[in-house]
Amino acid sequence: MLDLAQNTLDGLALGASYSLLALGFTLIFGVLRRMNLSYGPAVLFGCYCATWTHLNFQAGLIALAVVTIAATVLAGAYVERLCFAPHRRGSAVAAMVASFALWMQIEEVAMLAMPRHIYPFPQLFEGAPLQFAGLSLPGDALVMLAATAAVCVLLHRLLYRSRFGLAVRAAIDNPLAASLAGIDLARTFVLVFALASAIGGLAGYLIVASHGQVTPMLGMWSTLKGLLAMMLGGLGSLPGAVLGGLALGLIEAHSQWFFGPQARDLVAYLLLFALLAARPAWMTRWTTIRSAS
Amino acid sequence: MDDYTIGVLTNVGLFSFLALSAYLLLVVGEMSFGQQAFFGVGAYAGGVLTALYGVSLPLAALGAMALGALAALAVGLPTLRLKGLYFAMSTLAAAEMARILFELLIFQKTVGGETVGPDGTQGFRGIRWVFERGVEPVEYLAIIYALLAAVLIALLLIERSRLGAVLRSVGSDSELASALGVNVGRLKLGVAAAAGALAALGGVLYAHHNTYIEPRNFDIMLGVHSLAYALIGGLGTALGPLVGVALDIGALEGSQVFGGTRMIVFGGLVAVLLILRPRGLLDERAVQWIKARFS
Repeated sequence: MLDLAQNTLDGLALGASYSLLALGFTLIFGVLRRMNLSYGPAVLFGCYCATWTHLNFQAGLIALAVVTIAATVLAGAYVERLCFAPHRRGSAVAAMVASFALWMQIEEVAMLAMPRHIYPFPQLFEGAPLQFAGLSLPGDALVMLAATAAVCVLLHRLLYRSRFGLAVRAAIDNPLAASLAGIDLARTFVLVFALASAIGGLAGYLIVASHGQVTPMLGMWSTLKGLLAMMLGGLGSLPGAVLGGLALGLIEAHSQWFFGPQARDLVAYLLLFALLAARPAWMTRWTTIRSAS
Repeated sequence: MDDYTIGVLTNVGLFSFLALSAYLLLVVGEMSFGQQAFFGVGAYAGGVLTALYGVSLPLAALGAMALGALAALAVGLPTLRLKGLYFAMSTLAAAEMARILFELLIFQKTVGGETVGPDGTQGFRGIRWVFERGVEPVEYLAIIYALLAAVLIALLLIERSRLGAVLRSVGSDSELASALGVNVGRLKLGVAAAAGALAALGGVLYAHHNTYIEPRNFDIMLGVHSLAYALIGGLGTALGPLVGVALDIGALEGSQVFGGTRMIVFGGLVAVLLILRPRGLLDERAVQWIKARFS
């Protein structure tokens, strides 16, 4: 019973990181209706820049977070210019394949600059995990949960209480009417992309800072986990992305405990496949960021 | 030809099967992230048949193709009615499941005093049917290209036929095609099965070329690459995917001019190319232009 509770707690903490990744992913998909495969690699680029800064300048934790987010946004802007701005009215497949091409590019640049398979990254917390009622929760997991909650609240405020949010929701509902009403669609999309990249950068920073290391696998890992969480929660819905991320974390934690590490991913994919094949109503109901608050 | 050139040309040929497999589905308007799974099924099935049971390669290839088609049907049956990204994601999930199952697959036998067979994450060593029969690399290259040529001729003939026109109509507007009396569901299933068999054929040849395969060979990277090859080369003709493969493996990797920066060059090239030609180099318009010119 205690194991079950502990696994649930671990799963939630893990799921919070997936939720954060999925939020950025979903923001891009929900607004642009385009899939950005380069999302994870941009996060990787941000984390590699921070690692480089750490190795050369011994920067502090906050400075590293800033570097990660800034570099992720920079990489995101590059991807947006080359893959999404030119294909805004064109083919979604072409945009996606172009973003895959830049994935290869970004990963290669990172690997050329820092060719080792693993780099140390300063840990967020070195101390012992918090203990209560026989359960333990590491400090970084707590930060991850808090950060995810904070991003959810801020994102909700931004989308439903600001002019920018109004523009974003108008662009989702009816791009043509929005542009006729004087909303600069290109600018809105660029800002959404930057916002999504910043959330991705934050997620990446928290993930590598809790692992205490960076590997080149982070790019593919982030894209796959973000995608999986987004799909589990329906497509393009922000609350769905958060729930999907938490669900994915819980599924992984429990199936790892019951069936072992290899079965963990198998169960997650099996569930996704079964859900897609069955297409329950809730997977399609939440398909957009709702325009009414 | 020196060994290096033969190696590059062999790889171009092998991955062309996979790119054609992705292309077939793109023609009917479906994007699959999972064709690498059938490539893997073919590689494993073919390897098991020749290395463990002493079946001859042509028979093993037929068996693997049948299995690839069956696997593609099993994935396609519940998913092909899904739209766009939902279908793409379900194929991705299926392919990753297949890769993990390869990791869990341990099936070994003692053949001639030696233990061979898939050994989970350790991979599958000793697929030596081709090697043991003294087939020279050049000869194997010729076999691959002969098979590829046969597949291409078949595909080009289909494209000229009524079936080709039906396939294109499903790809451009499946509802319209359905209203005109085309059984879209059955047609797509048939295309998926053919694409699965084609990928499996590539997989068998790949396994016997390398003599060693491991689950990592069939990960999502391979799948997205094949999709990219089909799209860069162009969706207008079955020759398109070959152009895509030749451009990446042949021209960039093969020339070795760019060394470690090949992916940077390739990535940038693809992104710019797709801005200029969103349906690839040999898109429908280019194909019509060429046809008008040379007929």
